[in-house]
Amino acid sequence: MDYLKVFITKSRIKSPWLLHFDCGSCNGCDIEVLACLTPVYDIERFGIINVGNPKHADLFLVTGTVNHRNKKVLANLVAQMPDPKVVVALGSCGLTGGVFREAYNVIGGVDKVVPVDVYVPGCPPKPEAIIDGVVTGLEKFARKKDDRP
Amino acid sequence: MRGVILVIIGVVAAPLLGGLIAGVDRRLTAWFQSRYGPPVWQPFFDVAKLFAKERLLVNTWQVFCAYIYITAAMLSVVLFFLQSDLLLILFVQAVGAIFLVIGAFSTTSPFSQVGANRELIQILTYEPLIVLVFVGIYLATGSFKISEVYSHTSPLLKSLPLLYIVLCYALTIKLRKSPFDFSTSHHAHQELVKGFLTEYSGPYLALVEIGHWYEVVLILGLCSLFWATSWTGIIVLVGLTYLCEILIDNVMARMTWRWMLGSVWTMGLSMSFVNLIWLHGG
Amino acid sequence: MLDSFLFILILGPFIAAALCYIVRIPHIRSLVVLTTGCLLAVTSVLLFLNGPFSHTPPPILGVPTHWWVLWADDVLLLTMLYYGFKRRHLFSKILVIFQIVCLDYFELFMVDHDKVFPPFVADNLSLVMVLVISIVGSLICVFAIPYMNKHEAHQKLEKSRQPLFFTFLVVIIGAMNGLVLSNNIIFMYMFFEVTTLGSFMLISHDQTETALRNSVRALWMNCLAGAAFIVAMIWAYITQNTVDAQKLIAAGHMGGIMLTPLALLCFAGMVKAAQLPFQSWLLGAMVAPTPTSALLHSSTMVKAGVYIALRFAPGYAGTFLSQCLTACGAFTFLAASAMAVSQSNGKKVLAYSTIGNLGLIFACAGINTPEAITAAILLIIFHAFSKALLFLCVGDIEQHIGSRDIEVMRGLYARMPRTALIAVLGIVTMMLPPFGVLLSKWMAIEAASKHLFVIVLLAVGSALMVVYWSRWAGVLLSAPYEPRVEPEQQDVLTRLPLLVLAGGAVVLGLCAPFLYSELVVPFLPAPPFTIQAGIFENPTGAFVLYPIILVLALGFVCAVYAAGRARRARFSGPYLSGAQTADTESFEGPMRKPVAVSSGIYCFESIFGEERLTVWFNICGGILLALLIGGAV
Repeated sequence: MDYLKVFITKSRIKSPWLLHFDCGSCNGCDIEVLACLTPVYDIERFGIINVGNPKHADLFLVTGTVNHRNKKVLANLVAQMPDPKVVVALGSCGLTGGVFREAYNVIGGVDKVVPVDVYVPGCPPKPEAIIDGVVTGLEKFARKKDDRP
Repeated sequence: MRGVILVIIGVVAAPLLGGLIAGVDRRLTAWFQSRYGPPVWQPFFDVAKLFAKERLLVNTWQVFCAYIYITAAMLSVVLFFLQSDLLLILFVQAVGAIFLVIGAFSTTSPFSQVGANRELIQILTYEPLIVLVFVGIYLATGSFKISEVYSHTSPLLKSLPLLYIVLCYALTIKLRKSPFDFSTSHHAHQELVKGFLTEYSGPYLALVEIGHWYEVVLILGLCSLFWATSWTGIIVLVGLTYLCEILIDNVMARMTWRWMLGSVWTMGLSMSFVNLIWLHGG
Repeated sequence: MLDSFLFILILGPFIAAALCYIVRIPHIRSLVVLTTGCLLAVTSVLLFLNGPFSHTPPPILGVPTHWWVLWADDVLLLTMLYYGFKRRHLFSKILVIFQIVCLDYFELFMVDHDKVFPPFVADNLSLVMVLVISIVGSLICVFAIPYMNKHEAHQKLEKSRQPLFFTFLVVIIGAMNGLVLSNNIIFMYMFFEVTTLGSFMLISHDQTETALRNSVRALWMNCLAGAAFIVAMIWAYITQNTVDAQKLIAAGHMGGIMLTPLALLCFAGMVKAAQLPFQSWLLGAMVAPTPTSALLHSSTMVKAGVYIALRFAPGYAGTFLSQCLTACGAFTFLAASAMAVSQSNGKKVLAYSTIGNLGLIFACAGINTPEAITAAILLIIFHAFSKALLFLCVGDIEQHIGSRDIEVMRGLYARMPRTALIAVLGIVTMMLPPFGVLLSKWMAIEAASKHLFVIVLLAVGSALMVVYWSRWAGVLLSAPYEPRVEPEQQDVLTRLPLLVLAGGAVVLGLCAPFLYSELVVPFLPAPPFTIQAGIFENPTGAFVLYPIILVLALGFVCAVYAAGRARRARFSGPYLSGAQTADTESFEGPMRKPVAVSSGIYCFESIFGEERLTVWFNICGGILLALLIGGAV
């Protein structure tokens, strides 16, 4: 059984499917996320697929500030992801609300609404930094408790 | 004894082979797009991970349908290895395909509903073609049984060239490769999220994935019948065919189902009819 | 013994009908219908166990039976004429008068009534038909008892019209039993006409404007069939000098002389079975209360049509007529399936599916090999059970939700779990292995493989069939998860027929090898399949029935177990781009107002639309039919 557990942990690290949500970003971070998918960075070599569906996703990349309108959507998406899952906040806005944090409609960073595992700073973060953040998140899969008996 | 071994091969080796083919497919696709691509074993990692995910459901019919799907897919491959009746294999395979659709219909998600409707259109498009291919095999060998195909002395491809092209059409639709990936797509981000697979998740998506591997093996097995006289023939024919599929997948854009129904039926039915008339006359 | 069996099976329903009509007490009527149903079912089984026979009944009240038949015929035709005048329909009047003149001249001046031959002969085909008619028909009659009460409560009639309804419902069963057991084709014709009148009365039962219009259409089309039948009868008598069906079949087509009467008989059968271009009467019959449609569609009436074609099949084997019949049947199969795809009205889908399946049976009769005839007979049995089941389900559903539209049935599982599951089961038995309908279709396709044109039609038609069945099954189940679904309340007499039919549809499918060897093989000159360990096999193919059943049943058990265990999983609503509201079936729209999620089934109106296709299909069907008759003349 140990082999199976090891293999499953390895599979989790080897096959993180990714959901990307633009929570209110200026699109700077989003373009960098998409750049990761291009042949130059080719994150599919790590088994990462951009699935666009919370029910299939393991990794949740959130960019941009959270406001009163979309906080529900953010929470809903995280709730519809099956465990184990990792939430990665991207860019200054995702971390804290960035330059918009004082705006009347802005709540702040992603962690105001859902728990965040990895913070990737930058405005926008470079693709290398995003990949690094994702890989840091993957290490959490090795530590996260297996939810299935 | 031989039967038992064949059944075991069918049940165990077929999904391994199917997963490997899927891995090679992704690797080649990456190569075509000048990327590095995931390891060849990637599909196995994906499935293992999915099995260990939390079970998240919309309703329990999905579970029921996923299990029936994989049972039927497995059974159809086993029947193939036991050299059974071609039409029967098609019908058993259809049980799985249809229950997958029913499972998608059973969720209230609009993405999955539209995907299910489209999957039905895909079934509608390829099923008559496959039946006609089998009728061609029957006219050439005098039987629907695969065992009779293997005892045929010359490659079927010689007498059924057009029907092989028709089978390739059906294959592309069945594998949901571009330009026929309406109901769901192997690559992320189609306009329907993940089409009729949207609501299957975790272990149940893994079952569907394994079922799909069985189907890939079944379909390539059907292709292999066209050069069943030698092992080299089988490998060359199946390899070339699958390479063409990947190439088509990469160079084509997704079209509409109206286009698929119209063009595939026109081309497919007329080509099969012509080929059948050759057989009938000759 | 035989006398009493035949009396119960043929005259019994007529007596019960008279009782239903005279005794106007609802409870007694229900009791009469129930008793008749049980009696018919039991007697049909006894008759079957008794085996094939030929029988001459004793004179009734001292008058030979053929006189009774002649009088009955005249009364029938005059009744039809009366309705022809009442509804002011010229064409049916002409057809009926034509039949009266022909029949009376034929009976009084041509037929030699002294010739001795048994007017009732039963071989395995007839016995199978009797079983199907008596069992399925009786179940439908039982279902009709609570159904009609609710139906009338809904209509708020001042005076109940149920006596008339039940009268004709049971009459049709008796007439069908008579039809399939008759050897004298004059008897056959009489019973044929009884079903015509019966269906006319049942279709017009609700007395709405559409009902009246559709019933007249059914009348003239079936009278056309009757006229063709009578011409065929006279023609056959002129060439063969007999009305003994066995002798006519044995004589064959006699180098083409007998081909025209055979073609006319097939024509009569095809009209009765609502083949293209005569499908409109059966579609129109949908306005009648559901038991009517169920009875006409599954076990009786339309099956009279295919029975005649199958009965005379040996007579036209290997002729051009046979080929034409195959083409007509296969074309109807394709056309009906295509038009069914465009329908979202559940009853219409069922109607088109019936027409399609009957087309397939005609195609099998036309192919005329032992394999094809096996397929046809098995299809008659399996289709009767599954189709009756589906009709009754739709009837029950319609009374609960007030609609027969498939879209309205969306998520029916949450409201009527039992009926929804039975309906899904019925649908599955109609299209998937290991159930009987698919087994017979497999036989049909393998038998048709040498007919290129036909096989293309069948291949496309069966794919279309899969589309309309599976989306219906899916829509019925499309409900959000609830931990406990409350089963609906149902009358015992509603649930019993549903359960028996569902059980029949499943169990008969599983007993297919037994049915084949016991019911079908004795009828055929040579058995087309060998059966070993539940595997149908012949040189062209093999259907490994029992191993498949075993594996699929195992998969089914696993699936049910897994689905049961999955109740402990986490449930969430469907993916709605994260914008779902708390009830998960709607999303937050403009002004924070919830917008309900909706999606529909594709009906392909632009491709398979009924209005677009009917004209063209009718033209093609008409041409094929003209070919059938013209080629035979």
